[in-house]
Amino acid sequence: MLRFVSREAGRLALGLLGSGLLAAAISALALPHAGDGLIAFLIAWGRTLDAFGHLNFGHSSISGGAALDELAAHLPLTMGLVAEGFAVALIVGIPVGFLFGAGPARRAAAPLIQIVSAAPIFCAGLALAYAAANLLHWPVPTDNGIKTGLSLWPHSAAEFETLLLPVLTVGLAGAAATQMALRRAGSDGAREPWRAQLRRMGLSAWEVEGVYGVPQILAGLLASLGEVMLALLSAAAVAEWVFSYAGAADLFVKSVALRDWAIVAPVLLSFAGLTLIADFIGRCAARPLADPGTPP
Amino acid sequence: MTRSSTQSLHAMLQVAGWIGLGLIAVAVSLSDFLASAPADATGIGPLLAPPSTLLHFGSDILGRDMLSETLHGLSATVRSALPATLVTLVAGALFGFVAARLPRALALSLRGFIGILASLPALLLAVLVIGLSARGWAAVAAGLSAAPFAFVRAFERARLQERATHSEYARATGISGATLLRRDLVYEFSDTILSAAARALAAVSIVLSTVSFLGFGAVPPHRDLGLMIAASKLYFLHAWWTAAFPAAALTILILFARLAAGLDEGERA
Repeated sequence: MLRFVSREAGRLALGLLGSGLLAAAISALALPHAGDGLIAFLIAWGRTLDAFGHLNFGHSSISGGAALDELAAHLPLTMGLVAEGFAVALIVGIPVGFLFGAGPARRAAAPLIQIVSAAPIFCAGLALAYAAANLLHWPVPTDNGIKTGLSLWPHSAAEFETLLLPVLTVGLAGAAATQMALRRAGSDGAREPWRAQLRRMGLSAWEVEGVYGVPQILAGLLASLGEVMLALLSAAAVAEWVFSYAGAADLFVKSVALRDWAIVAPVLLSFAGLTLIADFIGRCAARPLADPGTPP
Repeated sequence: MTRSSTQSLHAMLQVAGWIGLGLIAVAVSLSDFLASAPADATGIGPLLAPPSTLLHFGSDILGRDMLSETLHGLSATVRSALPATLVTLVAGALFGFVAARLPRALALSLRGFIGILASLPALLLAVLVIGLSARGWAAVAAGLSAAPFAFVRAFERARLQERATHSEYARATGISGATLLRRDLVYEFSDTILSAAARALAAVSIVLSTVSFLGFGAVPPHRDLGLMIAASKLYFLHAWWTAAFPAAALTILILFARLAAGLDEGERA
């Protein structure tokens, strides 16, 4: 197990290093004369890497503020949306995944799952907004006006209503990724020869599923944690745009539109870092579940 | 349900997907004839008229016929998605397969670099590529953003084939790596090209429509489905048909592409 974790940690470190190089290359575009040819770009890249080494991520060409300050001001909202969306994803995705991920229900639900998976997340977000406004009569902030913050810990019913729509949008995307991971693991597990062999040894179907099947399926979910994180981050970008909240994903989109590369780079680095770390944690946690005989 | 009946259901859904894509192709190629109004023609009906016998899909804020606009929007989306699909196939599936057979150090470096790109949401990667190039390059950007996942999948498949028994025998009998690669490429792509194309079409359609929704894709007056839905954002709460029909058309396109790809259970496009 230690060897496995060390190898995964090495992969994580290489991934983070590569993300840093990529982010520095993008940030280098913000330096003057970086676009004057390959040599000029490489020099700018080297300078940016040196600055990154000293935790200096440059300044916004629009607001003039430090890139790290801009990131610190916007990232908590996205992180909060992702964390609360992840909770929704687990609450909705795991029961649905187990309900439709095993036995005859798995095959019967296949066409329905295909239809649900086909709906882009921004369509789901707009459908949620429509239902909330017209059925529940909640206020829905969808104007293309000034972006606002969002109270992640609501203290009133109004704040809760405001928070629920973006969190549900992110959560549904996460739930879709979660139940897809569970279905994939369930489908793989259904083909395993040990299932029939255990039945021949006299174990009931419940025992086989509960003691051997469920840990395998959960291991499949954990191994796909990076994929779930990708779905959550994409959905956060869409939710911030649809519901007009000033998070890091919205900052990324706005900064690309304004070619504010010094801001784009740290947002990109933080998103890649989040996915790589989620992938690392998921793989390490899945290992003992998938193979209980692994020594610590 | 037995394994054989599951497989026949799978095959039936795949055929249904291809029939659906065929019907969409017909609708797209005949969109100028099927639509009762030309693209972006304003004042066809009253402003924000709900669906009726006269305007089956209603009208939008400028009095445009939503049925005609949805057909034109679908046409614009598919026309952008086709080159994007080609980019994903070449830069993802084909390049991934070939990269796995390069010298080990180079192959693993490439796999590592593309793996980093795959750790970024495809949507944000597409937005970044468009930002670095131009809005007119949205189709290429969507194709490139979907390519890392296709690359990684093709790379892993190629590595598996490299360790297969036929590869070991081929190497033992002196068959060159290039000949073996050519043979594996022919077998790989003759079996899976249609499925890989449909899978790429589903992935790029989602990315393309979402970047258009965010304002990075189609440029007015050439509206695709994503831009149509974005334009309806201000008034869809009171006029659902302005967003619902383009969203339904987009979902149907992606659904047929996913079905045609014959994705395994829980498999992402």
